[in-house]
Amino acid sequence: MPRFRNSSERYGIIAQALHWLIAALVLAQVALGLYAAKLPLGLARLEWLSRHKALGVTVLALVLVRLAWRLLDRPPALPDAMPAVERRAALATHRLLYALLVLAPLAGWLLASASGLSASWFGLFRVPDLIAKNPSLVAPLKLAHKIFVALLVLAVVLHVAAALRHAVVRRDGVLHRMLPWQPPAGR
Amino acid sequence: MAAACRALTLLLALACAPEAAAQCYAVDAAHGSVTFLVDQAGAPFKGAFRRFGGTLCLQGDAVTRIDVWLEPASTDTGLPELDAALKGGEFFAADQYPRVSFKSASIDMQRDREVARGVLEIKGTRREAAIPFRLQGGAAKPVVSGSFDLNRLDYGIGTGEWSNTKWLGGEVTVDFRAALSPE
Ligand code: HEM
Repeated sequence: MPRFRNSSERYGIIAQALHWLIAALVLAQVALGLYAAKLPLGLARLEWLSRHKALGVTVLALVLVRLAWRLLDRPPALPDAMPAVERRAALATHRLLYALLVLAPLAGWLLASASGLSASWFGLFRVPDLIAKNPSLVAPLKLAHKIFVALLVLAVVLHVAAALRHAVVRRDGVLHRMLPWQPPAGR
Repeated sequence: MAAACRALTLLLALACAPEAAAQCYAVDAAHGSVTFLVDQAGAPFKGAFRRFGGTLCLQGDAVTRIDVWLEPASTDTGLPELDAALKGGEFFAADQYPRVSFKSASIDMQRDREVARGVLEIKGTRREAAIPFRLQGGAAKPVVSGSFDLNRLDYGIGTGEWSNTKWLGGEVTVDFRAALSPE
């Protein structure tokens, strides 16, 4: 039976679904952003950047839902066997990830607003502007968006490396806490 | 002058009105704006034309002639790459067609606003257009303003891939407002 809420050992399916959905969308967003930003000014650039903006605000919304859920449903504690320095590193990386998951799309949204190229959610409804159009903010916000995204990618690399270390080197079941299936028997 | 003329008209009910001289005004671009609004991917996108001008003539209280222009080379969206594209061949072709112009043929009152009918020329295409406007502020400080929609494709604004209106809307709303100074 899948559990909706976290137990003391594992994440529940709500936390898992949000984790993997956001992970997939962030990867898609990095690819989409890199692709769209390279396109020359034209219809294709307008199309792909529009999709990037719509998907980006979706990521931000999901991250906020995830943070809210995390407050309601506290995550399982890390294994007692983990050294204190690793626990602190894990905690710091998770905090950094959450901060960047908010800051990166927020900077993108501010950039779209300042450019006067407001976002629309896949043509279904308008996404409100966060700030008024302001050409002098376009360059700094573009830079901020790139820096936050680059830091986010770095934090994700760290996070994935640590998860793999838990799974392959430590074999302590930490990765499986976030996977919908149980670890192989007799680990 | 106009007020004196009206007073005389009332008193004498004679030849004064027909003989009232036309007073022409110049559009004062420094105290005005011409902006456009077009849908991009489901959200409105705004820009402005910085250089515009022209003449508007009054006979008594009635507007009798409008002859205005703007330079698409002064397109300003705040985004330099977009401005360059809009001045380029697929949009205004500003080098080849440096001026957009409107010349009135007739002007009539419709309820509380006036409508100028005439020829709007954009990118070498001349079409009949009806442009509603208001004249406010009185004879001392007249201000003309108005808003109208046009289909950019009627004038070849956006050729090639840009003739698709899914991502860049076909309907463009133009808003204008300018103070007038006596010529
Ligand atoms: C997790 C969310 C997001 C990620 C991972 C992401 C990632 C990226 C990346 C990798 C680029 C390419 C940067 C470059 O090389 O120039 C980019 C560009 C861009 N992003 Fe995002 N983005 C996200 C959210 C958003 C949001 C929410 C918006 C707006 C609502 C947005 C608007 C833009 C814009 C306008 C550009 C183009 C900048 C340019 O003109 O070069 N992004 N994004």
